[in-house]
Amino acid sequence: MTYSSGVDALNHVSLKINDGDFAFVVGSSGAGKSTMIKLLLKEIDATEGRVIVNGYDLSKLRRRKIPELRRTIGIVFQDFRLIPTMTVYENIAFVLRVIDAPAKYIRKRVPYVISLVGLQAKANNYPDELSGGEKQRVAIARALVNDPKLIIADEPTGNIDPELSYEIVDLLKGINACGTTILMVTHEHDLVRHFGGRIINITQGEIVYDDIIEGSEELVPVQTGGADES
Amino acid sequence: MKASGFKYLVEKGVDNVWKNRMMAFASFCVLLVSLLLVGISVLAYLNVTSIIGGIEQKNEVIVYLDDDTDDEALLEIGAALQTMPNVTEVRFYSKEEAFESLKESMAEYEVLFESLGDDNPLVDSYRIKVSDLDDITDTITHIRDLDHIYSIRAPYDFVNILVQLRSILTWVMGALIAAMVVVSLVIISNTTKTSVYARREEIAIMKYVGANDSFIRIPFFIEGMITGFFASICAVVITWLVYDAVVNTLQNQVALLSIIGLGSIIQFSSIYLPVLCAYIFGGAAIGAIGSAISTRKYINV
Repeated sequence: MTYSSGVDALNHVSLKINDGDFAFVVGSSGAGKSTMIKLLLKEIDATEGRVIVNGYDLSKLRRRKIPELRRTIGIVFQDFRLIPTMTVYENIAFVLRVIDAPAKYIRKRVPYVISLVGLQAKANNYPDELSGGEKQRVAIARALVNDPKLIIADEPTGNIDPELSYEIVDLLKGINACGTTILMVTHEHDLVRHFGGRIINITQGEIVYDDIIEGSEELVPVQTGGADES
Repeated sequence: MKASGFKYLVEKGVDNVWKNRMMAFASFCVLLVSLLLVGISVLAYLNVTSIIGGIEQKNEVIVYLDDDTDDEALLEIGAALQTMPNVTEVRFYSKEEAFESLKESMAEYEVLFESLGDDNPLVDSYRIKVSDLDDITDTITHIRDLDHIYSIRAPYDFVNILVQLRSILTWVMGALIAAMVVVSLVIISNTTKTSVYARREEIAIMKYVGANDSFIRIPFFIEGMITGFFASICAVVITWLVYDAVVNTLQNQVALLSIIGLGSIIQFSSIYLPVLCAYIFGGAAIGAIGSAISTRKYINV
């Protein structure tokens, strides 16, 4: 992938994430992690090569069909991106309204998803009234609500307290256990070491490491600060 | 799209108007002024056309003939007038007839007529009607070319003024409509731009979760239509008040009415339905198109 500015963001990357995988993508700033996410969402097109997501060949996917692709993917952002004027419930229901789900289904599905992330008590609160960890759980519920095959989490622990990071990853692990593929971008190596699993290391636009490691399961202090985007 | 989904989008649109009320008010005002200017000039145009039509129907061109015209020449002139392209009706009016009607209308000056005795100072004339007042000048030039024409009296000046007024109104109207449509579209699309900006987070999320283009655009579209709708309702009310006031003033001008005829001024009550429809359609269409332009430009899915 080469940007029009001439910057090679990703080079000869060949990567296959299998259905049901939980993969960490690590790498320092500017390594190409964000570019990879943009490619997966077809925000940008690959200058060369092929990107296939949930069975959609993105180089052949027409613009009109992009919404269809994105409905099969859930996204969790580092900065939550909740709509401040909507309550927790409305934020999550909003996704289903966008895809024109029946009102009856929305009324049933949203409380269920809220209960999955343990926020029943906060359903009618506004995002400003929640802690960082709670906000991210709302975001995860939102990613989950239309039952996507793949959830992309872009530094989901970047803006929250270190001790809550484990909760968030645990939650994602739980979702993964139900069959949803999860791709989590992070640069917190301690977190990765703790949970283990498939680790993909991108450095300067190339994959330098892709293997499965055993989780240490010990609680190591998470480094904070320098949580910048790649 | 399901009904519940559409209801949701409409609610969003209404919400937009309120959240964005300062800009919505600005576009409301601009649309209102545009509709008023265009509407009133169209109504003026219609009235001038109606008055011209009224005069065309009732007004005569009087062609006076030389006193020494013999009967043969008289018939020739009559036939010539009949064949002229713009002439619809030709009627001979003898000097005796003219004298009688003059006597009748000036009954109190009987003494005057007695002193004249049998001497008739008047002349024979033809009274003709034309089909198109725009061409009356041509027609009169043609009549002048005939022999034995003493003089011609036509509602020249007044008609010329009206015809000129009508052509000016046509231009003014065309220019106004073009200018106002452009200005309104720019303002409305600007309003939509701020509305889009205010909701950029929401729009970004909509895109990520797979909203269709139309789903994102419809609320803005409705926002524009609502603004247009209210502007047109207000415009109708203002037009109605202004129009009725003007018509009332004109109807008190007896002198003017005697020329243009009472029936030539269009009453608002007889045209309010088409006016209402045109305003609402125009307002809502401009509102919707303006916001559509803007969303096309600022929302790239």
